[in-house]
Amino acid sequence: MYTQPYPEGGQGPAQAQNSATLVSLLVADCGAVFTKVSLFGLVEGQYRLMARGEAPSTIKPPQEDLTEGIIQAINVIENVTGRRFVADKQIISPEQPNGDGVDIFVATISAGDPLRVALLGAVTPELESLSAQAVAGLYAQVQTVPSPSYVAVTTPAGAINGPADAMAQKAAWTPERLALEWERQAGQLHELQPQAAVIMGVADGPAGPAPLQEACQLLVNAARDTTQGTTEADGAAKRYSVIYAGAPQYVEAVRRMLQSVADVTRIEPLTNAAQVGAVSAAIGSLQEHEGLQHVPGYQHVRNWSPASPVPSATSLSSLVRFLAQHYAMNVTAVDVGGGTTALMVAGEKGEFIPMVNTALGVGSNIGDVLQRAGLQRVTRWLPFSISEDEVRQFVLKHMLHPQTLPTDSRELALIQAFAREAISLTVEQARKSSHLALPDTDLILATGGVLAHAPRYGQVAMMLLDALQPRGVTSLVVDSTMLISQLGAVATVAPVMAVQVNENDAVSHRLGTCVIPFGNVQLGQLAVRVGVEYSNGRQISVDVMGGSVEVIPLQPNEQALLTLFPAPTVDVGLGPGERARAAEEIDGGLIGLIIDARGRPLALPADDTERQARLLQWSQALGA
Amino acid sequence: MTYASGWPVIPRQLLKRERWPGGYQVKGIPLVYHGQEVVPDQPVLRLASLQHFKEEEKRLLAHSSSPILPAAAVASFPPQNIPAGLHGRVVGFTARGGVVIESHAAFLQGVLGAGNQVAGILTIWQAPDRYNTTRAIPPGAILVVPGPLTLRLLHQALASGVVGVIASSIALRDLEGFLRADYLQLLKTSNPELAQSQLPPLTILLTEGIGSVIMPPRTLNLLHHYQGSIGLLSGITLLSHHIYPELVISIPLVEIEKGWRAMIPDTTLALGSLVRVAAGECLGLVGRIDYFFVYEQTFASNLRARAVRLRAVDGSFYVIPLANIERIG
Repeated sequence: MYTQPYPEGGQGPAQAQNSATLVSLLVADCGAVFTKVSLFGLVEGQYRLMARGEAPSTIKPPQEDLTEGIIQAINVIENVTGRRFVADKQIISPEQPNGDGVDIFVATISAGDPLRVALLGAVTPELESLSAQAVAGLYAQVQTVPSPSYVAVTTPAGAINGPADAMAQKAAWTPERLALEWERQAGQLHELQPQAAVIMGVADGPAGPAPLQEACQLLVNAARDTTQGTTEADGAAKRYSVIYAGAPQYVEAVRRMLQSVADVTRIEPLTNAAQVGAVSAAIGSLQEHEGLQHVPGYQHVRNWSPASPVPSATSLSSLVRFLAQHYAMNVTAVDVGGGTTALMVAGEKGEFIPMVNTALGVGSNIGDVLQRAGLQRVTRWLPFSISEDEVRQFVLKHMLHPQTLPTDSRELALIQAFAREAISLTVEQARKSSHLALPDTDLILATGGVLAHAPRYGQVAMMLLDALQPRGVTSLVVDSTMLISQLGAVATVAPVMAVQVNENDAVSHRLGTCVIPFGNVQLGQLAVRVGVEYSNGRQISVDVMGGSVEVIPLQPNEQALLTLFPAPTVDVGLGPGERARAAEEIDGGLIGLIIDARGRPLALPADDTERQARLLQWSQALGA
Repeated sequence: MTYASGWPVIPRQLLKRERWPGGYQVKGIPLVYHGQEVVPDQPVLRLASLQHFKEEEKRLLAHSSSPILPAAAVASFPPQNIPAGLHGRVVGFTARGGVVIESHAAFLQGVLGAGNQVAGILTIWQAPDRYNTTRAIPPGAILVVPGPLTLRLLHQALASGVVGVIASSIALRDLEGFLRADYLQLLKTSNPELAQSQLPPLTILLTEGIGSVIMPPRTLNLLHHYQGSIGLLSGITLLSHHIYPELVISIPLVEIEKGWRAMIPDTTLALGSLVRVAAGECLGLVGRIDYFFVYEQTFASNLRARAVRLRAVDGSFYVIPLANIERIG
């Protein structure tokens, strides 16, 4: 867990300039599969969402132009509002007296490939781990390519061939072996085709300063090898962007070695967790300049807006941290997209654990979910039997046509099963990267097509409870308007608008408060007795058995006081058997008050028939 | 959008294609010069292993600055001449030694495929007749199978020396059984040259993809029209790079001279557009857009989405989500 500066320029959303003079704003969120555009405007003195449109993203051939999808989505808004926003492929701005046009256009982008970054130099396992933390919240793919001399001094010569090779274990790192290692690392760089590199490592390590020099040489060689194939649009040879986070006394030497192939930015040497934020900011900046600019049509979109388009994950992280601080609570946001799954956990004191998994999604990257989770993990969420062939054919079809929608309930259940695993794998990765248990959360925000467009709210709640497995007491909110990924970017130009739209429209689909007893929850035994005292004075008491899910009616406009009497071995957040009574009334929601007494970690029955029966039973309880 | 080209069948197009037969750790030696007119069966490059090439290059090019290797150098490599496969003009060379040819061509894009680029004569497969007599498959041909493929037919084609197969669809199990590979991984491989080199030497293009969907009449008509012509077939399918299988057939000169105009595919969905259903129980259905619903429609999954009504060829109507259709003509 670490605190990192706001990437929009060192200020949080609420501290930026006043946007009182703005009347209207269009914000586009360009995803891997769909482009969503929202129109915000003033309604009775408050900024509100006025209309939204959605169209397939157009970064792939034959269009290969981000703007096509944006304009198609804007056309939907034009049809709804009767106003015109686009003329001659330009945004009409500012807003005209007849209502056409908008004052500002901003965009967030999660389409396109992640930034490919090579970690070079004396990359110790600790530095590798810190680097993984630094890029956890970015659309970046990092690969370690350590310098050959560093590999030589830290690896027994035979280790590469396997520990069984006793002769090799004894062999020394001969010049020939070292040459082979050079070739191996050069091959890795060739395969990665990095857009940027981070050079790191101290000068007084086991290999001395040589790894820094070799890192430069590897880059020079890689640049030479790709000269013919990789050129910029103006015909100039491609230059790498290099972040130097190594021994400070060698920065000028590195600059000299790389002067013909790279632009070097120096930051403080990465040696401990305190510098992770700086590395993250530097790579984030590179991502905006190197990664996004390669998205077809980026420059056109850039010209429409006073602010540079920002990565959707950056926008989402800004909003989540703002909400955590503003409402003084732990907030978890989960965004399941076609190509990426993001998890952001923010604490009221500025703690922040981001994890953007650029290889997991329920669209073009659904195959990666199957590969990493495995068939059994995916199909365990299905209340019916299914063959491996059917799952694989479904995955293949979805990889080819990520924009398609499930028209029958079987396909819907399958895509929701994949969404659970995409979230679950991302949670595991976040835990591994941060080396911490994720904190209990007060609010869970869900966004992304598969969650926001789920036909029933109960299905969203089920997916979140299954995949995130929260504990204690939390609230579930679904971002049905798909706004929360956009509001961080809106806040950079219109903070007041972002806050008001967030409160009025983005977090308005509150599913309900959720009580999740944990500890030693016994199947079929009383887990918790729930006492509810409604605002109108009515009181009810419900006994919830272990292994079940119950919903107690509590409508969106209702409040109630909640008292929890857990069984002696069961915990609701205050310790085993400790009674809990809410100091304030809890709010209702679209589902109601949810009691998930299935236990943590959630264990599904091993028997298929029993498992399917339970899944159906839980779904019915939630109205899924 | 499945079709990077816009539509799966484009009868007239001016396109550039790199002639590159694939191969791991190989390099090509161009046998033609920039601007040269080539014909489909004319050798345009010669392949050599990268190692072999490096050694010979050092030895023979020490005193030469010409981009084309001297005849002596060419002769010293193991002979593997690669025919152009297209009628057209040489417009460039790639770093790996591929030859870029510009050609007036008919174009067919597949949904899925596998295997490197090959050139061969388009031959329509004849199903066994009522006496169960199987017709011989000519070696070196690109076999067109109008219906779904089977594992047995693929093995038969491979044994006959066919270089490529074009079919409508196949069961995923059969495709993976033939390729002996995890096809889902193959689609996202980071080293396509290595991955393709490990597949059986038979290039496959599937016009409709996985399942048992038949080939649409437009596609079949194009293939019938060019039966006996040399086609350039590539099966490589790489989703991350937006590379899809394709067949390119150069249009005969006489046809080009008759007021030839390239067709520019329009992917906009409009009333009357010919579209194909890309998902769901109507997968593969071809029809024309009959009506755009103003309001979102509810489907069996309870999902609400913008939708169109399609009129199929047989006159029946279907309500399909807008996101599940793609324009094909």
